[in-house]
Amino acid sequence: MELINLLMTGFSVVLQPVNLLYCFVGVLIGTMVGVLPGLGPVAAMSLLLPATFHTTPVASIIMLSGIYYGAQYGGSTTSILVNIPGEVASIMTCLDGYQMARQGRAGPALGIAAFGSFIAGTLGVIGLMLIAPPLAEFGLKFGPPDNFSLMVLGLIILTFLTSSSMTRALMMAAFGLILGTIGLDNISNMPRFTFDIPELLDGVGLIPVAMGLFGISEVLLNIEMKIKGEVFTSKVTGLLPTLKDWGQSIWAIFRGTVIGFFLGLIPGGGAMLASFVSYAIEKRVSKHPEAFGKGAIEGVAAPEAANNAGAQASFIPLLTLGIPSNVVMAMLLGALMIHGVTPGPLLLVQHQEIFWGVVASMYLGNILLLLLNLPLIGIWVKLLKVPYSVLFPLIIFFCLTGAYSINNSSIDVVIMLIFGIVGYLMRKISLEPAPLVLAFVLGPMLENALRLSLIKSRGSFAIFFTRPISATCLIVAIALMVVPLLPWLRRPGAVLEKEDTT
Amino acid sequence: MKRTYLINDLVWITFALLVCIGGLKLGFGSFQQPQAGFLPFLAGLLLGLLALMDLASGFKDRWKAAKADKEIWSEINWGKLILTMAVLFVYTVLSSILGFVIGTILLLLFLFRMMEPRPWRIIILASLTTTGLFYLIFQIGLEGQLPRGFWGF
Repeated sequence: MELINLLMTGFSVVLQPVNLLYCFVGVLIGTMVGVLPGLGPVAAMSLLLPATFHTTPVASIIMLSGIYYGAQYGGSTTSILVNIPGEVASIMTCLDGYQMARQGRAGPALGIAAFGSFIAGTLGVIGLMLIAPPLAEFGLKFGPPDNFSLMVLGLIILTFLTSSSMTRALMMAAFGLILGTIGLDNISNMPRFTFDIPELLDGVGLIPVAMGLFGISEVLLNIEMKIKGEVFTSKVTGLLPTLKDWGQSIWAIFRGTVIGFFLGLIPGGGAMLASFVSYAIEKRVSKHPEAFGKGAIEGVAAPEAANNAGAQASFIPLLTLGIPSNVVMAMLLGALMIHGVTPGPLLLVQHQEIFWGVVASMYLGNILLLLLNLPLIGIWVKLLKVPYSVLFPLIIFFCLTGAYSINNSSIDVVIMLIFGIVGYLMRKISLEPAPLVLAFVLGPMLENALRLSLIKSRGSFAIFFTRPISATCLIVAIALMVVPLLPWLRRPGAVLEKEDTT
Repeated sequence: MKRTYLINDLVWITFALLVCIGGLKLGFGSFQQPQAGFLPFLAGLLLGLLALMDLASGFKDRWKAAKADKEIWSEINWGKLILTMAVLFVYTVLSSILGFVIGTILLLLFLFRMMEPRPWRIIILASLTTTGLFYLIFQIGLEGQLPRGFWGF
């Protein structure tokens, strides 16, 4: 009963006109960046973060969350119609979605992707609503050593799941930690690596770094690499799946939802991992696995459901423990901190309106997305035809003005441009930016937790292994680091890559 | 051996070394009382060790499977890339002198033209419209603080 009352409080927050508007803008932009290949939710969130400075924290988080889960919906459109994933979590949808479009079944493919996303998204929010409060209570038992170990685990899982070498991913995480130390030391107030530049005393901002690494570098890459891909069909009809389609897809949707939800909970997990694993499992449990890759509707339904459930579930570690499980959540953490709100176990007590407002906005957002993605599909097809020669100058322009508007300072723009070049070079030599950004955001928290733990234990590292939560996290982290050294055990990334190519 | 990967690892090792030295200068403290340089030193050490591991594994096998140097860099249109970045840096400086409106119009003229040569009248119209709309929404509507320059806009 109390849960219903709290949810009603959330609806009273989200139904305020300004919050409703931000929710709509968030899912609209999310769908748009999902549809457009080359521009992901992280770039869009970093672009729009400065625009939320003048609004309330709840409106800001509602919009930024909407961008994330909205992108999961939009990504499927490009996968199905162009055979290019609109965003990384939609890669698996290309395999069967595009084949369905080639067979003249683009409508049912888009329809089942949207309905599957809606069902999974809604069930994911219910899961979030039920799991978050007890988890937050559990989170109150966390001390600095537990927080430190959980953050280490999150970083290790993310590096473990990256497609490139784990050593190189860990290198990027270490680089992120170093970047996070720039500015005044939290404990002694001593300036670190500021080179007498006053603007660096507050540290390097998350927004210029993320905009550079994900926005500018993406445009630079695309300047040299022409995205080829023609919209398969410009008129999509028959969006409502038939009873036969539903019969084939419904269990795939439920399985995808459950898999996606639990994988989304794991630090380092999220929508992308969820869609890969659910596709692989669906193929294994199917009575006709040979149809996968040739236009099986379950091959669209399962990963689309999984990526939406995963996206919703990945909010749980952030909102209850204050620990972002992936780079998108790291952006949200940054946004909350900018607004003076510290996510964690106390968020549900001190800022009920934010937690329940965001939860309620997700229910509403899922309905809006269903409406945006089915009746308005024609608009997204047209958007796919906007030439990149028009789009990219605008992205660069938004990045420049977005970075400037953070502090009305050119230094932030210069930092963004430098990280644009760094990000471009990193991508050229297969260094992934995601572990860098996650470590950069976690860095100051991780440092505080480490130093406080060591002060408390008088320099003994045993403190990390004598507390059950901390010990469990570290044992799992160590196990994950050992796995790549064992030749008979493959990393899931490698397995998934193989699955992708077959 | 792939020169790109070798240079990459050597750059990271040098950077890690500098960070470690910086960390020690800030003060490492002790494990009982960690100081400001504690984490930078440890993170630098970790980065250096990982880069060394990467270098070693590269020598062993990975570079054989990696893309050839030529393959990585040959597809880049260096002229376009360097020009774009140079213009963006120049825009950052010039916009505070010329002001947001004039600086942005010039920037967009360049970017639209560079991405795909279209007739000038279309490019001029697109640049003026984008700048004008943005100025109206952010400067006048939302009372933003866009650079004014000596013209005052």
